[in-house]
Amino acid sequence: MDIRKETIDTITVLTPVGRVDSNSAREVEDALLPLFDEGHPVLVDFGQLSYISSAGLRVLLLAARRSKATNLPLALAGMSKPVDEVFRISGFAKLFQIHPDRAEALAALGKG
Amino acid sequence: MSRLHPPKLSLAIVNDLAEIGRIAPIIEKFCAEHGLGEETAHAINLSLDELLTNTISYGFEDGGRHVIDIVVEAQGDRAVVTVKDDAAAFDPTEAGDPDLDADLDERPIGGLGIHIVRAMMDDIVYARVGGHNQLTLTKISVQEG
Repeated sequence: MDIRKETIDTITVLTPVGRVDSNSAREVEDALLPLFDEGHPVLVDFGQLSYISSAGLRVLLLAARRSKATNLPLALAGMSKPVDEVFRISGFAKLFQIHPDRAEALAALGKG
Repeated sequence: MSRLHPPKLSLAIVNDLAEIGRIAPIIEKFCAEHGLGEETAHAINLSLDELLTNTISYGFEDGGRHVIDIVVEAQGDRAVVTVKDDAAAFDPTEAGDPDLDADLDERPIGGLGIHIVRAMMDDIVYARVGGHNQLTLTKISVQEG
């Protein structure tokens, strides 16, 4: 799958495009987890993501643990309705800093 | 409105995780053509993703090629999905629920998939029939808009 990586100020922004299913979750894992070795806050922008399964949630849980271990903030933004629903029914919404869109997430991370 | 023969989509996939992404647009198209709505299409695709991932990853011990049969029927306001495979017996209706209140460090890494299927679907029936797992999932469409 297409996963865009960019740096805005000192924040690393990762934008997965399309679907994160059990087949593509590995690609997100390989792109996301090493970011916590780079020393910058991380934002995952879900604005281009239409779908996530529990395999994707697993990767985000691993990222949240890396965030805690490295003391580097992790924020999520721009969830579509299906993605938001999966977060809610899994009880994941309370484990993450979730913002309505990228701009608000960048502002919150910038203050941190 | 009942029909003698409700619209039916039959799919046969092999035990390869790449199949999950292949069938998703086919199911979306079928749902759109038969008035089942995007939410129902999402519920079906997500549930199939979770169930097929389990079956393909853990259900076949011989490492060989297996075929899994999937049928989606549009029965008026509901979709009825049947999944049939010859994997090891597994009844998802009997799996335990994960602790959804556990904090970050205590969250188990697995176990969420079946919980998601239960939350997305209105009814799940399991049967072991002649050496096959047969799962029937029902999703009632909520009128959108």
